[in-house]
Amino acid sequence: MIRRFVRQKFGSAGLVVALAVLGLVQLLPLAAQGAEAGFAMASWAIFVIAAGSVSRDISSGALQMILSRPIRRTQYLFGRYFGILLSYALFLAATSLLAFLVFHLVVLRTPRAGAADFSMAGLAAAAGQAFLTGAFQSAILLFFSTFLPGIADLLGLLLLYLVLNLPQFSQSSFLRNAGERARENMLPAVEWERILRGDDVPAAATGRWIFALTVYLVLAAIVFSRRELPYGQD
Amino acid sequence: MIAVDGVSKTYGRFGRRVPALAGVTLRVAKGETLGLIGPNGAGKTTLLTCLLGFLRPDSGTIAVGGLAPDDLAVRARTGYLPERLGFDRELPGRAFLAHHWRLAGGDPARANEEVEKAADRVGLDREALSRRLRGYSRGMLQRIGLAQALLRDPDLLFLDEPASGTDPRGVALVRERILEAKARGATIVLNSHQLPEVERVCDRIVFIDGGRLTKSETLSGTSPTRRRALVRIPVSRLAEGVTALSAESLVAESEPEGFLRFAVGSDEEMARAIRALALANVPVYEARVSAELEELFETPS
Repeated sequence: MIRRFVRQKFGSAGLVVALAVLGLVQLLPLAAQGAEAGFAMASWAIFVIAAGSVSRDISSGALQMILSRPIRRTQYLFGRYFGILLSYALFLAATSLLAFLVFHLVVLRTPRAGAADFSMAGLAAAAGQAFLTGAFQSAILLFFSTFLPGIADLLGLLLLYLVLNLPQFSQSSFLRNAGERARENMLPAVEWERILRGDDVPAAATGRWIFALTVYLVLAAIVFSRRELPYGQD
Repeated sequence: MIAVDGVSKTYGRFGRRVPALAGVTLRVAKGETLGLIGPNGAGKTTLLTCLLGFLRPDSGTIAVGGLAPDDLAVRARTGYLPERLGFDRELPGRAFLAHHWRLAGGDPARANEEVEKAADRVGLDREALSRRLRGYSRGMLQRIGLAQALLRDPDLLFLDEPASGTDPRGVALVRERILEAKARGATIVLNSHQLPEVERVCDRIVFIDGGRLTKSETLSGTSPTRRRALVRIPVSRLAEGVTALSAESLVAESEPEGFLRFAVGSDEEMARAIRALALANVPVYEARVSAELEELFETPS
């Protein structure tokens, strides 16, 4: 299942071009500033990779053919999820490696202030932050993809962020507090980069992150296992 | 083998529910080939999808070999060709078949060899296997779809319009593969609008209309329920032909184009009819036995 996902994604010219563009856009700031630049642009790749991961197989009818085989639905679903993670990891690794090469082959040979700050460990930590954030977002996308058509899972994710962030602009302190609690539990922010660099960070946020990720994946499995798969016309 | 009891299914929600199946009860014996026929929108695909366990009936039960249709033990013995071929278009044919070989529980080490065998069985050459599926014609997609359904020689085959979009050679090839599966004892459920093909491969057909199973006809075996003879003779000799057949207790209807149409219970009865016509010196230009399934679409339930 993982292999099929990766082949499916990297076999599509449009998707490869989209990823290449994102990677190249990210490459220059990374090569110039190292980990400081972060993976802000490259993070968009998770949406390109994960959007419609289940719903497209449902609408094309490919899923029915796959599930007529002796495999569990959860096996398929988590195959998709790990396929997303592997694809994203490959993309981040390729971008980081290219940034590293560009830094050493181009930037270092050009007299420029701050070039010596480039560190592979820092870059790895930034890539790790991007990867884990992507892993969380893709779990939400996977959940929405089990019941929303096409790439409406992206809309679902956007709405979730909107709904959970809107209360902070409210006049009511009750709404602000409730919104904050909901955000902390449903979209917990963890400073992975600091953790990956070895800094001490509060464990509570990490715990909430793991719990929320598990909840999204379990919900996806429950919804997907119960879902009917009609197709075609009579 | 397959037991369907009082299965009903409706689509839609919030008061706008459309019935797709209404109290369907059906049995398919082990080794039997059953044809599902009926007009568009009758509920055939819904029934097939329920048999595969992708749709859950609102009421009623379905059991395949005593197990739920989505039981993995059932899936391990199932081959399925959907009407709408939702393939991974970016995959080469070989990778697609190998993927399904592995999903079906086949030994990965034998995937390559089995994929080539499967492709040979449906007339796909090596060059086609190395091409991406998006470059396949409709007929080629149908062939590779059939090849994946037949991987590991399943005991249970669900085929939805298997010859759709194929050329006459493709139609014949689909028929050959179905007959081959039938010969090795597979239980087959075939949904098709190609009535002559249905007639050639099915042991029995059920006619579905408006979500109900309205007719069931046995086409083969010792007591077929639907065997019609069609004999073409000179138009000027139609009356003589009717008389000759009536002497053999066969009630024939004559048609202005020169056809005599009558029910025959067995091959022997057909032979008697031809002999009677020959003895009456009525030339026989053409004679065939057919289930004339298209008639089912015309006659009210």
